[in-house]
Formats: sequence, structure tokens, C-alpha cells
Amino acid sequence: MNLKKTLTLITLLFSSIVIIAQENYPLEGKVVSTVDQMGIPGANVIIKGTSIGTSTDFDGNFQIEVKSGDILEFSYIGYVTQNITITNQTTLAISLTEDSRALDEVVVVGYGTQKKSHLTGAIAKVGGDDLAAIQVTRVDDALAGKLAGVLIQNQDGSPGADPKIQVRAASSINGNSNPLIVVDGYPISGSLATVNPNDIQSVEVLKDAASAAIYGSRGANGVILVTTKKGKRGAPSFSYNTYSSISSKYKRDRINMTAGEWANTLETGIASGRYDISEVDPDLLNYRINAYKNAPDVLAVEDWLYGNGYSTNHDFSYSGGTENANYFASLGYQNTEGIVRTEGYERLNARLNIDAELGDRFKTGLSFNGFAADRDIAGHDQRDLLRAYNISPIYHTAASIAFVQALDQQAQALGLDPFDNGYRGGDAPFNNSIYTLQPGDTAQDWHYGRSGNGIGGTGDAGPATKLDNTDRYQKTYFANVTSFLEYKIIDGLNIKAVLGADIRDTKDYFYRGLEFDSQARGNQTALDETTVQQTSTLSETTLNYNKEIGKHSVSAVAGIEFQKIYFKGTSLTGTNVPFSDIVNYNLLKPEDITVRERDETISRWSYFGRISYAFDNRYLLSASIRRDGDSRFGANNRYATFPALSIGWNVHNESFYNFDFLSTLKPRFSTGSLGSTSDLGAYNSLSLLNPQATVLGTGFLIPDDIANSDLTWQTNTETNYGIDLGFIKNRIRLSADYYTSDIEDILINQSVSEVFGTPSIRLNSGDVRSSGLELELTAGIVKKENFSWDFGANLSTVKTEITDLGGLDELPQVIYGQSGRGPVYRNYVGGEIGEMWGLETIRIVEDEYIEDPTRAIGINSSAYYVVDQNGDGVIDKTKTVEEGGDLVKIGQNTPDFYYGFNSTIKYKAFDLSFQFQGAQGGDVWNVDPIYYNSEFGGRLRDSFDANNDGIADHNGEYYLDSNNQLDAQLQDASFLALRNLTIGYNLNPELTSKVGINSARVYVASTNLLYFWGDNYTSYNPEGVNTSQSDYLGPTTYGTQIGASPIVRSFTFGFNVNF
Amino acid sequence: MKNIYLLFLGSLLLTISCSTDLDEVPPNIASSDSLTDFEGVLNAAYYYQLGAVTPMAVMGDFRADNALMLESPYTEFDEYDPGLTAMEDQFFGPFYTALYRSILSSNNVIENSEDATQIGEAKFLRALSYFKLVKAFGDVTVILTSPDIGDIPTFDLTRKPALEVYNNVIIPDLQDAISTLGVTNVNGRASRLAAQSLLGKVYVHMGNFVSAEPQLAAVVNGAAGGGISLQPNYADIFVTDLNSEIIFATQESSSVEDEYGFSDFWSWFLGNDTKSPKPLDPSLIAAFDASPGDLRRAVNIDAVALTSPKYPQSGGPEYDWIELRLADVILLYAETLNENGAPATTVLPLLDDIRERAGLADLDPVTINTKALVRKAIYKERRLELAFEGQRWFDLVRTGTVDAEMGETINPNYYVFPIPISEILASNGVITQNPGY
Repeated sequence: MNLKKTLTLITLLFSSIVIIAQENYPLEGKVVSTVDQMGIPGANVIIKGTSIGTSTDFDGNFQIEVKSGDILEFSYIGYVTQNITITNQTTLAISLTEDSRALDEVVVVGYGTQKKSHLTGAIAKVGGDDLAAIQVTRVDDALAGKLAGVLIQNQDGSPGADPKIQVRAASSINGNSNPLIVVDGYPISGSLATVNPNDIQSVEVLKDAASAAIYGSRGANGVILVTTKKGKRGAPSFSYNTYSSISSKYKRDRINMTAGEWANTLETGIASGRYDISEVDPDLLNYRINAYKNAPDVLAVEDWLYGNGYSTNHDFSYSGGTENANYFASLGYQNTEGIVRTEGYERLNARLNIDAELGDRFKTGLSFNGFAADRDIAGHDQRDLLRAYNISPIYHTAASIAFVQALDQQAQALGLDPFDNGYRGGDAPFNNSIYTLQPGDTAQDWHYGRSGNGIGGTGDAGPATKLDNTDRYQKTYFANVTSFLEYKIIDGLNIKAVLGADIRDTKDYFYRGLEFDSQARGNQTALDETTVQQTSTLSETTLNYNKEIGKHSVSAVAGIEFQKIYFKGTSLTGTNVPFSDIVNYNLLKPEDITVRERDETISRWSYFGRISYAFDNRYLLSASIRRDGDSRFGANNRYATFPALSIGWNVHNESFYNFDFLSTLKPRFSTGSLGSTSDLGAYNSLSLLNPQATVLGTGFLIPDDIANSDLTWQTNTETNYGIDLGFIKNRIRLSADYYTSDIEDILINQSVSEVFGTPSIRLNSGDVRSSGLELELTAGIVKKENFSWDFGANLSTVKTEITDLGGLDELPQVIYGQSGRGPVYRNYVGGEIGEMWGLETIRIVEDEYIEDPTRAIGINSSAYYVVDQNGDGVIDKTKTVEEGGDLVKIGQNTPDFYYGFNSTIKYKAFDLSFQFQGAQGGDVWNVDPIYYNSEFGGRLRDSFDANNDGIADHNGEYYLDSNNQLDAQLQDASFLALRNLTIGYNLNPELTSKVGINSARVYVASTNLLYFWGDNYTSYNPEGVNTSQSDYLGPTTYGTQIGASPIVRSFTFGFNVNF
Repeated sequence: MKNIYLLFLGSLLLTISCSTDLDEVPPNIASSDSLTDFEGVLNAAYYYQLGAVTPMAVMGDFRADNALMLESPYTEFDEYDPGLTAMEDQFFGPFYTALYRSILSSNNVIENSEDATQIGEAKFLRALSYFKLVKAFGDVTVILTSPDIGDIPTFDLTRKPALEVYNNVIIPDLQDAISTLGVTNVNGRASRLAAQSLLGKVYVHMGNFVSAEPQLAAVVNGAAGGGISLQPNYADIFVTDLNSEIIFATQESSSVEDEYGFSDFWSWFLGNDTKSPKPLDPSLIAAFDASPGDLRRAVNIDAVALTSPKYPQSGGPEYDWIELRLADVILLYAETLNENGAPATTVLPLLDDIRERAGLADLDPVTINTKALVRKAIYKERRLELAFEGQRWFDLVRTGTVDAEMGETINPNYYVFPIPISEILASNGVITQNPGY
């Protein structure tokens, strides 16, 4: 649609750039700052009245063709512009002085910009320099650990996965915490992945309510404002950046033992009395130990599943401007092969930003952002793949085939069942006998016998069979076109209309073939395809007023906004997929394909206004209000109003203030309210029929929602106390913010009895109070011409407390995990959100009580002695100690505090940056060990508890198996990561200019070069929290880990050139 | 310039005119409060019965002495201790959920439909659901309406005594169904015969043989009028959907997606599931050994492979779950007459057709001549005739023969199954766990 028009426009624009030849001579020079005589990079050098110009390089040098009589204009943000008339000079040294009025950094705020010195809210900014210093594949990575109050967590390390971004405390106790992302004023549908990090000028995060309140109902999770690069007036410049990286999983050692290692453990364990084999038939014992010892060509599943990943990236950008129009265009390409077999990610980004002035009064602009991504995801979950026993090569070899055949003969000689009886699958073309195996066939558990007659495991298909017979991918196409027209009514008063649209097309594909299932059941096959097209149109009209009259500075904005979001899609679910080389819906019987349609519309409507006033740059005040309407709420409650107020005082600008040491002293206060719609679907307030094919004809299943025409906004009222301090001429800056946030009428996804036909209902009930402290320090430790050293550090705390639950003492408890293996999540008045509760264990039941320790690799007793808290002789898993049961609080995922520190050092042509990120004090309940060590076979001998009363006979202690809610599964989720380390070298511009290159930089970088985690953490990613099971309810059930994709460490080499 | 002003004005007007209406109505789906025909809701009530099929099979046969689990924690089905709660996620949870959804769908039809037949079928399904719940859990929560969002916080979730559920819900629903439904079975939908059979069975479970007798008599005597008759060949009953012997079955089709995801109960008996590759309990082999020449043996058991080939093929075909069939009703009727004091000469001939089909001689009322002996003969017949149909455990419990038949002393707490723990949590403890779990 609009794409065609845009492309035409691009062509027109590019062809209109005409370089005019004149009788010129070259002029060289350098632009420095009067303060420290350091070169100013990126200063504009323009011949006045023309479109000819350039900008200075990294060291402030420039070259330009001039002729006598030209007036050269030197300008840079924050400095006084200088004009020099050319009189045949061939060199020029320009010294720019800082503009005391404009010294202020400009900060992007909702629907406008503001001087930093006038800010009264809590806004964190990462500027272009910080972003340019390190190389990241996504913007989120650049923010990790950089900003106080912003926690970025890699829940899933696989390529193309979005990290979890949380700004301050969770604004909702259900639903997601994703902040609103606004790119150049347009709220986009989707994550930060849609923006190429190379296109970004700056990122601002609106943290407090007063700053975000102008976004009303969408601001409660915080707002991330992304400003992309715009063209600058002057000659076109071209930039190319490329890098390649190699990556691997962070932890090198394996979690699970191989058969050989297990044979050793067993033998030493038997010798030392750790294992008691008195109940094991000696022939069987020898047979098994020898089998473990001699299994040939064993390849551990982990060594096969995880390997090296590779990534290549190319980014081109092209920008410049004429007198009336500026342009910036870029193209980025990324191709990544993940560290997990079959995973990968390929992405193409394109951007075009055009701004033009039409006469004195009109300004217009158009921007296009396109994005196409192809993400390959492992078709089967890693927890299940890793639980296969490490007894086999992944694909059979001649040796392993000979081995299983010999083993089968031994088993039969011992009177055990032939291994072939373990085969439960279909007939030909499947191989149903170990005597017809060929080298290269996938090794399956049953080839090694079952736990009764061999050393095989669960009887499942092998890991390669599972992964090779599944296919999962996601394709995303995204395009956003925004245009604006601005008209200056009178000086200082502008009206601006923005019209935009975006479209996001996603296709999720999943295939599981007949061979996947060890029983070759047709109903276990799947061919699923879901496509959703999400389109959104936005119209926004604002009136802006900015005026400085004497000591009064006023800026105001008022606007009206309307948005419609459409979801249109189909999902096809196919089953009984025939065994075939071709996978196609045409091969399925029509009745085996279920089609579901999605057709939803959301309408939003808002008007808003804000006024900011500063007197003499000393007294600051800002007030805003927004009224929102949203079709998703119940018919009775669709509108809400969100006001905010903030004040600040630049004490250091007072005439009486004369502490030179403390160059900035600025207390701030803000309060405001916000709404949240984060987890609402289009029709959650209605009760919709759910059509489903049944044997008797169309059936209308129980609606997912029970109609609730009162469903309404939750309101977050937040108060922020802040102070900005600057020391030694602001070389050192410290900001501290403390906030409290009260969420009222929380939208709760409350679990209810299945008697009501739905596992949960949405209600507005309850209040949560959260608070936090944020410290942010930046220091320019050294600032010399050839050497500079900047340092930043931040620390944040978050605390939440549930203060009311609409009359309830507690929300219904939920066990969240894999097949009922998980902690009890409790949310009660006086507690925090998502507390994990369980039974206190004393220690694992000793290995000597295992009936038959030879049954499986890595076996443990899978049972723990548990504490009978109240000594009543019953282990009650459903009640807390207070209520007469035995449940105690065992942990929670929210860290006590999280922090980051970073530094950039520049010495001559070298630069070095690093970025650490850490979180301390959170926990995960890790399901994996239950599956890896003990799910099968860890059976205790009958004499351990002869009368089955749950009490160990030898010591009288209570015991439970690991399928229960035991604290033994709780692990420390604290971590400290060196997220990024980059070392760069800028090539000598004098040399590179000879080949027409203005500047060039080569760099090496590493992500997660160092990563520290807690001693008792046993899997691969302490940040990996599972949110994907169908019964996940949001932060109330947050903290269970199930087979998380590993932390990725990568090494990158890249270079960057500018022409 | 004027044009541009107009553009502005246009965009402003567009903004304002669009914004007045926030009523978004879903385009292709109806809201449940605008529904007029409740046929689809009724179909859903049938459909949800699928979720109870495999749990019934596992509870009925694996918990009893017909089948065994081999891999932990599935072996909890053969152990009579609190450990069985480990199985709730796979069996009791989905079973509970599916049946209450069937109940809610039925409630909706009963409350809103104006079609007497639809209401009759809905009442049958509601009774069937509560009957299954009571058999599995004992006391259960009763809901007889469609929930309104406002009622949920105050709704009384306490588990009602099983007897109350029988008397206040199951029996009246079945009586209503009997009075409204047609005698014959159309497309496998509930019929009057199905409702009468179920009511008879319910009374037998309650031990109320006096009330059971007329219901079961009506079925046995009226079966032919409803097109119901014994299949000449025992094996055919299980492989042909809706054959003449089927009074009511929960119909399966591999192309109908089952919310529960595993309604293939037969694969458990066939030993296809890795949790129990050799499910056959030696006790059942012994029972068939004691019945020489029994043609049902080959259909029910494979004593070499230690599986049950009753539903013979894996993977492809799907089998209906038989809820009520004529032979079951005949055996219940014989048992009822015996309990009500009818002489062996009246009772035993009822079994002749079933035994002859199995290749066995008729029972002789001269040797089997006391109430106790007749009772024993009928119990034995039930076991062999109805193996792997999800009946055995519930028969043992109802007849009080658990310990005698299982050969061990089992705490009666474990006659019923554990309530899903998520229900206890979600109700803040108002729904209680069964004692012993």
C-alpha cells in the first residue's frame, strides 16, 4: 500500500541531490572547544546560503571546497555558532565557545522535547555516543545495566528472542511488563527489535508517572522513547559498519553424566558403600555396569545440542541535506546461527527519514521503517531433549549397532526380555528391530533396552529423532510509515498533524512428524500454522506553544489522538500428518485440519495537554492531563482521566548560592497517575462463543471469558522524590530518586475453581504498593585532549507489597511448573507479588536407599526428607504453617537490588568500553534437575518405608519425592555479567583520507565474556524464567525455570567506515 | 496554501469523528448472550465427555486388578497411599475440568433452550457427569446454573455429600430425561433407553435395588423396541462404532481435536504407553484361566505379550468409549433381581445369552442355588464381560469386595481418588481434599 509511494519518494529524493561544481579550492581546518581545546566531532561546517557542507570527524578535523567570499558557518549543539568569511585561507582553526543558554542537553519527552535543566520528572537517557561506543545487535542490549530503574533480563538466550524489560516495579500483577515503545513519536506495535541499533540517535526512558502520564493508559509500564537519526544539512555522508561474531554457550561443563562416567561413579559408589546393591541380582549388576562402561561412541546430548553460533552483520547508512530538506536512509542485515542446533535468526531493516521545510511556515516529514525477520526455533523443548540418557551416539555407528545387538543377546541369556519388544511404534517404513539398524540411523532409547532389561531410558524416541522430525519457525514482516505536517501559526505556536500506520505480519509454523513419537501415533503429529496481521492506524493532532519572555519560559502542548488496531489472522491446526517427504496441508484429510479465525478490533481515543513553566531557570513546574477511552473495557467503564504534576528547583541558579564544589543542586518532586491495559485482549469484557468441530456437528465451547461489563482501568498513582547533584563543574553527577507507587483496582487474572468452566477470571480488585530507590552516578574522571575516561554506575531496588485484595486475604494459590512440578505461588495481603512457597527439606534421601542404583544414568533417590513444621504428624502441602499445614516461604524471583556499572576510556586513537550488569537476591525454582536425575527409576526399596506411611523407617523422618513443592529445587538466580566489552581503534584520518575515507574504526567486542552465577544454580541461564505454559498468569506466578536456553557468550570483530 | 489548511481541517475532523464510538463488536463470532439456538452448546456438552475417557479407563481398570502400571510415578495407581496425588495433573485434573465443562454447557441448555429434546439430552449429560464425579471423588461441588461474574466470589463451592448429589441432581435429571427423550438413539445422542439404563445403574450404585428394578426392566424388555440387541459376536462390540449393543457411547474421532489431548484410552490397554508396556494384571489371566473355553479371553487378554488387544489397532483408528451397553444392563438387572429376592431360576437364565455368546454353558440354578452363589456368579460374569471398559474398580467399591478381590487390606480412604490440588488452592480451601490424600 503505502510502501510503493514511499519507494517512489525515495527515488525522487535521491535523484534530486545535485552536486554543483564551482571554481573552488580545498580548505582544511579543525574545530575545537574553547574550554579544553579538544576537537569537536560532528560539528557542522556549511557554506552559508548553499547546501554545501560537511561535518568534522572524530578529532574535529574537516575539509571543504571553498572559494573566496564564501561565508562558512560552524555550528554544534550547545555552542555559539560562528561565521567566518573566506579570504583565500587554506587552513582554519576554529574555537567554539559553549552557549551558556543552550548548554543544556535537550531531552525528548512525550509529545515534545525539554531542556534537561528544566526537567522535573525521572527520565533516563542513553545518547548516541554511548550507543556508538559499543556494538550490539539489539537496542535492549545497549541499555542493559545502563539505567537505574530499568531491568533487562535475557529470559531466553536464543537468537531473535526478546528480553524482558521492566521499568521500576511491575505495574500489573498479571500480564506483561513491557513498556510502551515510541519511535519518533509513533507508538509501535512490537518490541525494540524492530529498530536497528545503528539508526538510533538517543533513547529516553520515562520512568515516573509524571513523565509518562501524558501517555495515560499506556504509560504504566514506563515509556521508551527512541529517536532515530536525521539527516544534517551538508554534503552527503555514507557510513558502513560490519561485524562478525562467534558464540558459544557460557557454561562449558556438562550438566548430565555420560554412560562411561556413570559406570565410574557407580563402581566407586558401590565400593565406598554409597550405593547398596544387596537387592540387585549380581548377574544383572555386572551386565549393566559393563554395558555402561563399554557403550561405544557415546555423544552427550548437550555436546550435540549446543555448538558454536555465528553471526554476520552489515549496516549501511546514507545521510545529508540540502537547504530545505534532510534525509537519512539506512539498510541493515543480520544473519545469526544460534548455539542451539537448528536455531537461527535473519533480519533485514530499512529506514528512511525525510524532513523538509516548505516555505517559512510549513514543515513536513516522512519516515519509513521496515523490518523482515526469520527466526528458526528449536522444534522441541530443551529440558526434554537433555533428559535422554547419554548412552549412545546421536546417530548410530557400526560399533554402536554391534554393541546393542550384543547387549540384547546378553540380556536374553540372562532371561530378560528381547530389546525389540520395547518397540511400540508403527510398522514399516519405521525400523522395528535393532537387528536391521544401519549406521546413520538415529539412536533411540529402546535400542538399548528399557529400564527392566537394558540401560535405555524412558523408551522415548532419541533426541535426534525428536529434533529432526520437528520444525518451528517464525517470520515477521513489519512496516511503519509516519508523516507529519507542521504549521507555524505565529512565532512560538505550531500545529502539527501526524498520520501513521504500521503493519506487522507474523507467521508461526510448527511441524511434528510421525517419527517423532516412539509410538508413531498419528494424533501426536502436528502441522500448525498461525498467521496474524496486526495493523494499526494513528492520527494525532497537537498544538505546541513555546515562548521565552524575559525570565519566563513557557511550553505547552495540547492534542487529540485516535488509534485503531486490527488483528486479522487464521490458525490452521493439522493432525494425523501422513509419513511423507513432503509436508503439506494438501496431504491431510480435510477433517484433520482445524481452522480458527481471529478478527479483532481495538479502538482508542484520547485527548491530552501539558504545560511546563520555568521562571529564571530556577523554579520549574509541569502539569499534564490525559483522558483516555478504550474499547477493551466493559461498556460501563470505558473512560478514565490521568493527571500529573511535577516541580523542581534549580537551587544552584539562585543568587545566594555560592558553593562551587556542588555545581548542581536540584530537588525534584512529581506525582501522577497512570493506567494499564497490558494484558487485555480485544474482547475480554465479553463472553464469546468458541466454535469447535465435534462428532455431532459444530459445538460452542465454554467461553474463555465470563462477561464483565464493569471491567475497568487499574490506576497507578506514583510519587517520585528526586535530587540531581553535580560536583566539580558537573564533572560528577549523581541523581537519586525514591518513588512509591500505589496501584488501585488492579486487573487481576484470578484463578478460580474449574467448577466455573474457566481456570481464571479477570477482575478489578485489590491494591499493591511498591517503592524503590534508584541511584545513578556519572563521572568524567579524566577529560584531556588525548585521554578521557568516563564512568557510570547505577543501583536500583524494588519492593512490592500487596495491600488489599478486594476483601480476600489471599489470591488462590497456583502451582506453576511442568506437569505440576513447581512451587506454590502465593499472593496475599501483606506479602510480595509472586512469593514462592513450598516444603522445607532437610536433605536428599541417601543413595543407599535406592532399590536398584544401576537402573538409569545419574540416578538419585528423587526423594527428600521434609520438615513437619508443626509436628502434627502430617505433611500438609496445601496449608501454610500459620494455617496448620507445612508450607513455608522459600523464595521469590524479584531481586533485592540490581545494578550496573560501565566505563568508556579513550586514549589517542584507542577506545575501550565495558558494561557490567547484575542482579542480587532473586530465586528460580528450577524444574530441570527433577527430569535430569530422578524422574524415573530412583525408586526406594520397600524396606525404606515398609508400611507406606510417608515416614522413613530407619530414622523416623518424613520424606516426599521430588514431584512435590520442595525447596530443594529452589536455586539462586543472582548474576553478574560483563554484558559488553568493546575495544576500538580509530585509523589515522590523514591516511584514510587518501583513499577517500573520512574516518574508520576497527573494533573487537565480547558479550558475556564474564558471567557469574550462584553456587547452587545448576542449569545454563539464571535469568531464564518460563512464561510460556498455558497456565502462566503473569508476575503472580513468575519464577519457575524450565529448560531455559543458555546464556550466550560471543566474540565480535568489526569495522566501521565513513565517507 | 488554502488546500493545506483544508488538509489540516480534514485530519482534525477525521480525528474527532472517528473518536465518538468505542463499541467494538466482534465481527464473526457471536456473544453468548445473543445466542438463540442451543444445539451447538449441547454438542459441546457431549464433546467434553471425551476428557473423562482415559481417566475412567485408568481408574476403572488400572486401579483395580485388571491392569498394572510399571513406571513411577504411574505405579501409584497400584499403591493405595497418598502418592496418587502425583497423577492429578495427567488424570484427575483434566477429568474434573472436562466434566464440569460438560455440566456448565448442559446448564446453559437447560436454562435457555426452548427445545424439550435438547433439554432432555442436556439433563442426561449432566447426570452422567455428576455420576462420574461422584464415583471418582465421593462428595463434589454442585453447580446447576451458568455462572455470572458477580456470583463467583460468593458461590458456595463446598462439596455436597454424594447422597445429596444423587437425590437432588442425578436422579431428578434422569427422570426428566426419561420423560422427554425419544426411545431410540439418533446419531448416538442420548435416548430414553440410555437415561433409563443410567438411572438403573445409579440406583444399583446407591444400593437401592428396589428403585433400580423397574428402570432396568424397562431397558431389558424395551431394548428391541429401541433397536438395541446383543451383538452375536463379542469382539464386534468394540470395533464397530454405534453397533446394536451400544445404548450410549462417548464418540471419538481422530479428526476431532480433544482439549484433553489424549483420549486414546485403548493405547494404555495395548501397552503402547511407555509407562506401562505390559499392563495386563496376572489376576485377570487367572480369572480367565478359571473360565475355560471362554471366547472373551482372546478378545480381552494376550497372556504372552501381557497386553489387552480388546481395541486392537494402535495409531490410526479411534474407538468410542462405551458408557452403557445392553450386556452391562442385563447383568445389572440380574444382580438387582437377585438382591430383591428373585429365585435363581428367574435370575440365571438372564445370563444365558451373554454366556452362550462367550461359548460357555448356561449356569445351572440347581447348583447355583443361593442368593450368595448367584451374586458371586454375576460378579464373576461382570468382570470377564466388562474388562477394560472402566468398570471394575467401581464395581469392587460398590459391592464391597475390594479387599477380597484385591487380596490385600486397602484403607477405604483410597476407594475414591484425590481432588485436584489446584481446586483446593483456587477455592482457598473451601473445596477440601479427600481424607488420606
